[in-house]
Parts: sequence; C-alpha cells; structure tokens
Amino acid sequence: MPNYEAGGRVYEVDEDGFLQDPDLWSDDVAKDFMSTEGISELTEEHWKVIHYIRNYYLQFGIAPMVRKVCKQTGFSLKEIYNLFPSGPAKGACKLAGLPKPTGCV
Amino acid sequence: MASVMKVLSKPLTPEEREKAFKSSKKVEVLARQRLPVRYHVEDFDVEDRPRRFLEAFASILKHTNYRLALDHYIRVTTRCARCAVACPIYDATHDPHDIPCYRSELLLSIYRRHFTVSGVLRARLLGDPGLTDEKIQELADSYYNCTACRRCHFECPMGIDHALITHLGRYILSEIGIAPRALVVSTREQLTGATGNTSAIPVPALIDTLEFLTEDIQDEKGIHVPFPVDQEGAEYIFFTAVSDYMMEAETLKGIAAVMKATGGSWTIGTGYYDGINYGLFYSDQVMEHALQKMQVEAKRLGAKKILMGECGHASRTAKYFYPTYCGGKDALPVISILEYTQQALKEGRIKLDPSIVTERVTYHDPCNFSRTGWIVNQPREVLKAFCADYEEMAPNGRSNLCCGGGGGTVSIDEVRPYRTTVSGRLKAEQIRRTGAHYCVAPCANCKKQLRELVEDQGVECEILGLHDLIYKAIILPPDPKPEEELDETAGGSVKLSKGGES
Repeated sequence: MPNYEAGGRVYEVDEDGFLQDPDLWSDDVAKDFMSTEGISELTEEHWKVIHYIRNYYLQFGIAPMVRKVCKQTGFSLKEIYNLFPSGPAKGACKLAGLPKPTGCV
Repeated sequence: MASVMKVLSKPLTPEEREKAFKSSKKVEVLARQRLPVRYHVEDFDVEDRPRRFLEAFASILKHTNYRLALDHYIRVTTRCARCAVACPIYDATHDPHDIPCYRSELLLSIYRRHFTVSGVLRARLLGDPGLTDEKIQELADSYYNCTACRRCHFECPMGIDHALITHLGRYILSEIGIAPRALVVSTREQLTGATGNTSAIPVPALIDTLEFLTEDIQDEKGIHVPFPVDQEGAEYIFFTAVSDYMMEAETLKGIAAVMKATGGSWTIGTGYYDGINYGLFYSDQVMEHALQKMQVEAKRLGAKKILMGECGHASRTAKYFYPTYCGGKDALPVISILEYTQQALKEGRIKLDPSIVTERVTYHDPCNFSRTGWIVNQPREVLKAFCADYEEMAPNGRSNLCCGGGGGTVSIDEVRPYRTTVSGRLKAEQIRRTGAHYCVAPCANCKKQLRELVEDQGVECEILGLHDLIYKAIILPPDPKPEEELDETAGGSVKLSKGGES
C-alpha cells in the first residue's frame, strides 16, 4: 500500500489517495489531505460538509446521498463543487476519511 | 445537423495525446505486474501467463458456445478495416491498433493458432512458438481502450460483432486475474460483501435515503409520493443502478412520481436492490451470479415483472441475458422505466406541463438501449410531449455515438483523461453543437461520463436523466386527505421503516 506523508504524519492510503483505514480519521486528516484536492484552506463551510458526511458515515456506513448533503448543509451542488473541486462523492468523502466510493459513483 | 464524424475527423494533437495516455500508475507496480495498462489491477500471479490464458480460453470454449461465433468469424474475417469509419476511438487516435477488426484479430489469431486443427498444424510446420506474454499485455491494454459501444458491427460487411470478441477477451483476461480493480472491487461487494451491492449501501442507509426523497417531494410538491419497500405481490420489482441512491435524487423522484400518478404497483426489495451488472463488461460468470440475485429477490417478493431504472447496461443485461441465465421462457418480463413512462403518457395516465421546461433539450442515446433498436423513440416521444425546444444530435438513435465511458470504463477513474479526450471527444462536440441547456442521458454510466466530459471539454450543458425533467413538469393529483394517505395507491404505499432496521 502506498503511504501519504503530510503535516509530519504518515498515512496508509489506497492508489487513489483515500485513507486506508477510515477509523483513523481526525480533523488532522482533512487538513493534511486538503492539498491533494486542490484546497488551500478549510473554511467553516468546508467543515460543515465534512462533519455532516463523517457523522452520516458513522451512523450508516456510507456517504449520504448528494442531494441530502446539499439540503442538510444548505449549499447548492455548485457551491459544494466550489468547495470541493472533485465533487462531494470524491473530494469531500476523501477529506472526511471515507473509503473511495465504488460502483458508478 | 451534419454528423460530427464527417465534419470533425482530425487526430489528436500531441498535447491531447500525452494527456489522454498518461498513466498515473507507479513504476514499481508496472514492474511487479508486468502489465503496461493505465487502469489499476489487483495483484495477481504473473508467472506463466500464456499457459494460464490458454487454459482459461479452453475452459470457456468447453463450457459455452463462443466457439460457434469464433469458428464463423475466423472464416469470414477479411480485416478490411471498413469498421474504422464507425469507431470514435479510431477517429481520435488515427492509430491502426484502434481499428475494431485489428482489435478483434488479437484474439481471433490466438483462437486460430491454438484451437483449430489447421492452426496447430500450420504452427508446427512454421515453428510458431504460440502465444507470448507480450501479446497478453497488448490484449489487456487494447481491450479496455474499447468502450464496447458496438457501433462497428453496423459497418462490418461480414457481420462480425467486434464487441462480442472484446467481451470474450476481457472474460478470459479476468480469469487469469487481469481486470480493472474498480470493477472487481464493486462486484466483489455485490456478490460476496455484507451490503450485496456495488456501491456498498447498507439497507438502513437505503431506507433513510428513500424516506428523505419522500420528504423532499413533499417539500417541493406538497404531495406524498412513497417509495414502496418489500411489498409482497407487487406487480413490478424495481432495480436501478444502486449508485442512483447516492447520486440521482431527481431521477428517482421522477420515477416515483410517475409510479404514483399511474397508480403503478411497484416495490424496491431490501434483499437486493442493485441493477448494476459489471459482468457484462468483463465476466459472464459475474453476470450470471448478479442476475441470479435479481431472480431470487423477485421470487421472494412474488413480483410479476422486473422494472429497470435509468441505466443502459443494467437494463440490457436484464432484458437480454436474464432469460438466458434465469428461467428461459419462464423468466419474468423485463421492462425499462422509459418504456413504462412512454406507455403511460400515451394512455393519458400522466400529465406533463409543457410550460415548465423552456430551455433547449437534447437526447443522448445510451448505446445499451439504442444499438439494438430497443429504446430509441420512446424517450423522444416523452420529451417532445413537454419540451418545446428539442434538438437532435447527429448521428443519433441506433447509430448514436458512445458517451465515451461505455464498457465499464466510466467506473475506472484513473482513465478519465482518456475518456474525456479520446473516447468522448466526438460526443462533447455533438452536445456543444446542439446548443442545448439540458442533455438527457437516461443511464447512470452515461450521466457520470458526460458530466466529466462537459467539465473537461468546457461544454456548457447540464446532464440529467429523463425522469429528472419529468419530475419538474409532472402534474400530480393532489392528495385526498392526510389521514387517507397510507392506503390510497393501487400498489399500497408503505411505511418506509418496515423494510429495514437501523
């Protein structure tokens, strides 16, 4: 497995750069991984999305429906894409420490 | 509108070529696997590959009827390359290796050399050493550069179905461990994982999502539209690309609205709710097992018909292969939601407001719907019924161009530059030329690919499903009274908590 190093920490990641063990997540992970998603600073808006997705994942074992992310956080899909350029299913999930989505996602 | 293929047939620039074929794979992985392909492959046994490939090939020939097709094809193939004009990949690369009949010849030559008497004798006379590892490497690369859109078989004067050969080549490769990891990981979860579906969505999450969608429709339309779950004896059991439950809220809302308006008796089964079947892309065995899961769930709930959501490959697999693997003539009928909705509209059972969608709309034919002529006019009839500004792409219908992500390649994120630079290049131009605000693509694969395509190619167009637009325009009869809601539809609506425990 490849490693990813940032912020003085070493993470085990998969080939797409997603955290290998989702249980090892903390806010530091989001901060350390943001540069791989072309994000220079994590604002309160970023955290709102990340924490919503993370909590949903802890409850249900999967990322929430994109429409639900928008509705619950109050951001439009376009705003989510502005926050996370690779989108809610990729960038936001990566920073929230979820496994890479599979199937046609 | 003139066909983009006639107008725009220029090869990629060197810059585009570099971008499209750049591999993100690490050197040590390439060295370890000895496989110069751009898609990720899980580690597999690299020793003695030619022998194992031939054993797998022999075994498949023994247990299937591919031999019939191959025997015919090796006799009639002339390698005339007429198919080149039909291929969007060749149109972009102008590389002879991308001519469909060249691709097919890679496998046909192995068949001829190792599985026919004349081939074996000829090899003895000429001292041909037989299949080499290099040839397997070429196969592995070439067969996933093709999107299996099947456009080429229209052009072949000898009637060779090159995509069938691509399918078989991928099947044999998968038997020796060579298949894109993205597909393998998804089908592993679907066939043996805890959630039993390709996107790993557990039942409580599905139930939560369906409840959310019902609330969402209530908020937007003020009408209770249920997503019935585990209704025994429902007429239709509904399967869609399971990713829709994460990505395509509007499509699902549109489908539920149509079912509500028509009083359709339908249900989603919590035992199995995934229509996706990547077996179509790389393995007949996977395809068979996924279809059997569908059959078991339909039987469990006593459904009478199978209703497929907006997904081309899922629908085609169910329509054309489900009878093969599950029950032959006794197999349940398979109906696409596109057919269902068109029928309902024709019979006047749904009303669409023509004043809602005023922007220009175009329609992209998913190959798995249109190539056989199965679904071409149905969605167009629906769109023309309520979209005043409707524009066709050219070519379209049976001879449409692939979105560029067919054959399972759309799920392989690491080949996105290839998909949006090479295989989807003509499609991007087609969409651009229509000047459409909305491009309707009723397929989970096509939607994902087209969204990435318009983003990478800078085309201003929103990609959505047919039922996304229907949802905007559908006129639903108002609910009678809140307290009567729970037993008012023909299919019986349901409390969503019934099917799952959180």
